[in-house]
Amino acid sequence: MDEQTTLLEQIMAYDFALYDLQLFLNTHPSDTNALRDYKMALEQSENLRRQYQSKYGPLTARYLPNTTCWQWINDPWPWNNKEV
Amino acid sequence: MWFYDKKTQYPIKITKPDPRMAIAILTQYGGPNGELAASLRYLSQRFSMPTKEAKATLNDIGTEELAHLEMIGTMVHQLMDKVPPKELEKLHVDTNYVIHGRAVYPSDSNGVPFTAAYIESMEDPIANLNEDLAAEEKARATYDYLINIADDPDVIDPLRFLREREVVHYQRFGETLRIVQETMGRKKFY
Repeated sequence: MDEQTTLLEQIMAYDFALYDLQLFLNTHPSDTNALRDYKMALEQSENLRRQYQSKYGPLTARYLPNTTCWQWINDPWPWNNKEV
Repeated sequence: MWFYDKKTQYPIKITKPDPRMAIAILTQYGGPNGELAASLRYLSQRFSMPTKEAKATLNDIGTEELAHLEMIGTMVHQLMDKVPPKELEKLHVDTNYVIHGRAVYPSDSNGVPFTAAYIESMEDPIANLNEDLAAEEKARATYDYLINIADDPDVIDPLRFLREREVVHYQRFGETLRIVQETMGRKKFY
């Protein structure tokens, strides 16, 4: 697996953990352990996302790299299989 | 509103085309227990949810279902992409091909188009949440069937992830139902 995919899959793992915790917290809003885990995963995800976007371009349209060309449209889109 | 994140919720990298499996999985795109139905059901029902926990749960599970819809569409696309038409004919999936080509269209595996008749949205939150619990179990059972007929680990792996999410959603809806019943009980609605 290339470096870009490895980094993206790390972000996906943290973002999944965050979403699962979000659903848990919706029905357990006073669970301090879950809240602590959420905070930890959020920091990790934001840090990895910064690294990824500066190297490989935007994950959201609101990330604007310092270039003269709009990068958002660039491949790959999530449904494209790079290895095929 | 929503913002798009340029990634699937779980990695999908299918390298071996399998048009028959694509058509089987298609039911989770636009079939009765599919992700489109799930998403529309929860995102419509959320408007009449009475507690903050229930509003958040319906909103956020409805949103996750959209990510699952994208995963299923990606799987169907990758399993079908670039397969020669003659091959589709040999595998008896050419009836789908002559209508849609190799595109992803919201129907069940038999080609029956998606309909909102698959879902209900009522003002009564107890009725809604009981439908939601049943819907998660029906989707879980569908993923069981799909896993039973799949051979490729690259296909089985995301299907197992999606199956597990149905189990987690069932748990969260159960907790939400309890919270709503307790709240309504306190307000002496009955």
